[in-house]
Amino acid sequence: MSGAQRSLAPVAMNLLGVVEHPVLGETPYRVDRDGRPYVPAGDGGIVLGLQLGDSVFALAADHAAPGACLVHPDPASRLALATYACIGNRAEARTGAASGARGVVIGKRGEAGRVITAFAQADLARLRPGDQVTVRACGQGWRPPGFPADVTIMNVDPELLSALPVETGGSGEVVTAGVRVQLPGRLAGNGIGRPAAGWDLDLQLTPATPGALAGPGELVLGDLVAVTDIDARYNLGYRRGWVTVGVVGHGASPQPGHGPGITPILTGPATALRATPDAARHVGLTPAALKLQ
Amino acid sequence: MKADTNAARLVRQVLAGEVWPALADRHAYRVGPDGQPFVLPGMGGVTLGVHCGDRATGYASDHLEPGASVRHREPGANMALQFLTCVGNQVRVASGPAAGALGHVIGQHAYVLVDFAEPELAGVTTGDQVTVTAVGQGLELPGHPAITVKNCDPDLLAAMPGGTRADGRLEVHVAATVPAEAIGAGAGMASEYANTDLMGAYEGLGEDLSLGLEGLRIGDIVALADCDHRYGRGYREGYLTIGVISTGQCMLFGHGPGPSTLMSGPAEAFFLADDSDANLASWLHPRQEALR
Repeated sequence: MSGAQRSLAPVAMNLLGVVEHPVLGETPYRVDRDGRPYVPAGDGGIVLGLQLGDSVFALAADHAAPGACLVHPDPASRLALATYACIGNRAEARTGAASGARGVVIGKRGEAGRVITAFAQADLARLRPGDQVTVRACGQGWRPPGFPADVTIMNVDPELLSALPVETGGSGEVVTAGVRVQLPGRLAGNGIGRPAAGWDLDLQLTPATPGALAGPGELVLGDLVAVTDIDARYNLGYRRGWVTVGVVGHGASPQPGHGPGITPILTGPATALRATPDAARHVGLTPAALKLQ
Repeated sequence: MKADTNAARLVRQVLAGEVWPALADRHAYRVGPDGQPFVLPGMGGVTLGVHCGDRATGYASDHLEPGASVRHREPGANMALQFLTCVGNQVRVASGPAAGALGHVIGQHAYVLVDFAEPELAGVTTGDQVTVTAVGQGLELPGHPAITVKNCDPDLLAAMPGGTRADGRLEVHVAATVPAEAIGAGAGMASEYANTDLMGAYEGLGEDLSLGLEGLRIGDIVALADCDHRYGRGYREGYLTIGVISTGQCMLFGHGPGPSTLMSGPAEAFFLADDSDANLASWLHPRQEALR
């Protein structure tokens, strides 16, 4: 990376998202990591009763996200929506019974592309698949002034960063990120080899994962998590000595190779990006910080 | 002793495929590990000059697919072709000047990958029809119930060294063992489709990217540590997956030479024998020659 990187002004775009309807094939079953068939509930669309701060293992569901997933009927437009939307971006329902309700982007999912938006539960209950939601997409390409050259930031609204436990050290050489847990890269699953600007990284965690949830704290939606030896600048991949920090945007999955997913926000060499795990006291992305309550 | 199998009960099906063109988009460039833009061949079409036993890395290539890359035009039929075709299955060219040429499946990569002898491969091109005799899904080892076998022609299994040991474990000869840190794109996907890209084999790039896998060869039988591919592809401590390297050099980050899955089970169910000859070239090509 070049040493001197100018801090250019971020651009905002209004993008159209459509509230997703879950999609299944002709057989309802998927197969879990132990070979048992299951019917995937909560995989996309609108999920009620799940909020930031709830355990990633709270529901018997597959990739359940706390709120409404947005897509677009045109595949390329859908990928653009997933790529340009950033955590903290404002969303507003434009049609239907929830018209005018305001939400916030809290993450994204890969493959065909989904944007995860949190709304107040009362607003969420009025949303319906097919409703149009506008997203004020802003953040890709933005670098905070004075940010260390070796650390890349992505998928974050410029106005949200100060609400996250992320600090630039006094020297300007190091970024510190408070996280719930720091995990080894070998637990990274689906998302490796894919572009982190539009794809989340699933963590292969189950409630039984030895050592995955150190200390008394359990992993909750909205937590920041660090993954070692993963470089997220140009696709997610293995690079010794690097760290990637992301925000947990959806819950666990029974599928092998899948699990709670983080939307990457910071990546850099461990010398410039320091993750400080605090299993008991970590506070990540919360409804209060997003002014959803 | 060779492991007992249910091979006599397996179905053989005749499947049709077509050598699929290489694909690109108008922006041309993709991005490497250090942000380097690249335009490199290797995926789709007919890739010449690289066969089982040859090095997997060291080419100016991305997602190198040795030999012919085969799909079916109809989506449902294509999934049947991709899922039912197994490593070691015989393939016959059915149209064009190379019609009649015999090759073998070496793996899957969202294409069925078919290795032919170089002189015959030179006569194959995009659009040529091929016929696959698919057999292998459903293969079981009754003496090793903890081990799931998939994507493996029973004749290939019979030709591979090893078998049931006196202690009850299945002896498998492997050319390399791969650490869990190397598992790249492909995690979370069905293990009957495409393959598992291995990171840490970017020949010629930085030391911080290396996991010491640059010596892999096309066709190598490898063991993947802490990988459970029985019902998809995931991390599970204490499990082993046996695969065959079916694709080569990648520049795209998070990707690399990839094994197609052959077996998976708890590590204690296997006895791994290090064997530099554990490569499809040791077993497929002699049979191929004998068929002429």
